[in-house]
Amino acid sequence: MSNIKFSNVHKSFGQNKIINNFNLEGKEDEFLVLVGPSGCGKSTLLRMIAGLEKIDQGEIQINNKIINELHPSKRETAMVFQSYALYPHMNVYENMSFGLEIEKQSKEEIQKKVLRASKILKIEKLLERRPKQLSGGQRQRVAIGRAITRNPKIFLFDEPLSNLDAALRAEMRVEISKLHQQIKTNMIYVTHDQVEAMTLADRIVILNQGNIEQVGTPEEIYSDPANIFVAQFIGTPKMNIIEIAEEHIKSEKIIQVLGNELNIEDIKLKKRKHFIGIRPEHFKISNETKFKFTPEIDIIENLGNEKIVYMKKDNHQLSAKIPSGTKIENFFGFDLKSIFIFDENGKRVKG
Amino acid sequence: MKTKNIIIFSIISSLFLVSLISIWKILATLQGIKLDNLNFQVIFLLGFFISSAQAIIGNKLNFIFKLIIFSIIFIFIDGYLIQHMPIWYNIGVFLILYFFINKIKKFNKKILEEEYSTQIIIFDFLTLFGIVLFSFVILFPFYMMVVTSFKTQIALLVNPLDFSINFAQGFKDLFKSYFVIFKSYKFGKYILTSTIVSLGTVFITLIFAIPAAYAIARLNFFGKTFLSTSILIIYMFPAIVLVIPLYTVFSQLGLRNSIEGLLIVYTATTLPVAIYMLQGYFKSIPKELEEAAILDKLSWFGIITKIIIPLSIPAISSVALYVFMIAWNEFLFSLMFLDNPNSFTLSRAIQYLSGDAETPRQYLMAGSVIVTLPVLFIFVYFEKYLVSGLTAGSVKG
Repeated sequence: MSNIKFSNVHKSFGQNKIINNFNLEGKEDEFLVLVGPSGCGKSTLLRMIAGLEKIDQGEIQINNKIINELHPSKRETAMVFQSYALYPHMNVYENMSFGLEIEKQSKEEIQKKVLRASKILKIEKLLERRPKQLSGGQRQRVAIGRAITRNPKIFLFDEPLSNLDAALRAEMRVEISKLHQQIKTNMIYVTHDQVEAMTLADRIVILNQGNIEQVGTPEEIYSDPANIFVAQFIGTPKMNIIEIAEEHIKSEKIIQVLGNELNIEDIKLKKRKHFIGIRPEHFKISNETKFKFTPEIDIIENLGNEKIVYMKKDNHQLSAKIPSGTKIENFFGFDLKSIFIFDENGKRVKG
Repeated sequence: MKTKNIIIFSIISSLFLVSLISIWKILATLQGIKLDNLNFQVIFLLGFFISSAQAIIGNKLNFIFKLIIFSIIFIFIDGYLIQHMPIWYNIGVFLILYFFINKIKKFNKKILEEEYSTQIIIFDFLTLFGIVLFSFVILFPFYMMVVTSFKTQIALLVNPLDFSINFAQGFKDLFKSYFVIFKSYKFGKYILTSTIVSLGTVFITLIFAIPAAYAIARLNFFGKTFLSTSILIIYMFPAIVLVIPLYTVFSQLGLRNSIEGLLIVYTATTLPVAIYMLQGYFKSIPKELEEAAILDKLSWFGIITKIIIPLSIPAISSVALYVFMIAWNEFLFSLMFLDNPNSFTLSRAIQYLSGDAETPRQYLMAGSVIVTLPVLFIFVYFEKYLVSGLTAGSVKG
């Protein structure tokens, strides 16, 4: 039972502002995923929580206690590193018990905790091994186990799966998800992988250049993006963004997109440049869609269960994702409800 | 292509055999055998015959048969027909041939047909040449040292160029020089002094070097880059330049003729390199390990003792070895600062003995052997710790 709160947190390295006025309030025991392109400050944020990086300005609270000046070891957090950071000269048991031994806990207590953690992660048989005798996935389990034995209030994961291969990554993702259900604790997870973010998170925080772009549940982020950055960051292939010049805004309600005149209710458009976003999976080859256009098709990628069609229409590069059984015609269609409208600054325009 | 390869292979391998047998013959002359010449041509021809036969026969014949046939031919022609050698010489030749045939047995027809086999042959034998010649050059002076130390004064005066060991004189006579230098020249005390000085230098150097190297590798402080680059500046001064001012200072402080004085100088001279070597290694230890240790509630001191030192055993032991050897072999400072025989180190004692015209040469050599042996043994023993790669498995795959 714990929560975390950031207020006006700033951080810069020399001249570079990494984190700029960061405010966020975590909910109790939630799985929070910080996601963003590399260099957006997400790892720095995590290291600031752990105490490995100083906080320049503002404060971070855990359970309403300011932790800014607390020594890393007193913050009751445990961190899982991207590179595992297991002690190579100790075996798995010693690695997991090391922190407890420094705390001078009793032998039985330590053994109980290590065995409990190893049972959760199914590494009981590996306790005598050295890290170099383990595979990548096993090492990551041990690293997580080391975090569990410390019984922290907040788990911090710093891109823990990015060194694993694709199959193992999917497997470990499920494991981490299960782990969160099993030990209900606050977890903060940093990744640049949108799949990890969407599958694991209770809430996602999308960061860009030290600023929060949007905070929300995976569904909110997908179906209600706040701006073009978020809209394009989540989803593969990324959302098609079509620039709409001023003259194509026919009136407050009517906008011309790919040769169709869309009649938009509940929004008043200004006579300015706008952007229209359509997700590739919302383009359909069907006569039931309201609007249609005929593109020039460049390339078709067949992924087995679906096809990705790369095409061109009026100088717009577009992509569409359609079920592989669909016969490709010379037109594509879309519906009004699947379009997102952004203003000239990339902000979402909503009713 | 194939014949060319066989010829190249045979020439190189027979040259190799020639060098092996020649070294053996030179060593044999030291044992009193008289040889007019080394018979290069005969050995070369025989070697050529053996290696081309090996290349053609390949592995059709059992290794032992091959060995016996080839060596009987070789020994019969070279050792019996031409030069009439004693049995022990021929046993040595047999062992050399065993080594040689064992080395060339992998070169059969199949390998020699390959395009790149010439390269393999040349590099294989070049390394072998290197090892054999190098060890001969290194070991020969040592051999002379040992041989001389086993001799009597008379034997040395009668024939100074006789390099054989007379095993017929009993154990007591053989090691007489060693007993003498321990009994009447107090070598035991010198060894003790040298050991104390060397181990003390290693100990003090490491105590200072490990935290210093850690600070340079990891911590940020004012003047860090200047400090780390200027560490090696002390090596810009030749030791002889430092000796004279140090001599006056040490005289006034009463540090001459004392172990403490030597410890100070030795630590000062070895510390820079020790720091330099260690900080390079410390930098290669992943930073995440230390961060994990911080989260495991370890203090700075704990990180150094529980994480850094165990992981740097290879680097620390090579530094220790280096410092030990420097301190053990150091001569200039001990020559200048020590003039009381009670506080001599080994190298200073040897110099003292050799300066004395009455000291017999075999005692000097016995002393030299005693100086050399510990370093040799320590090196052989510590060598296994010098293997790096202890950090394998800590980060990534």
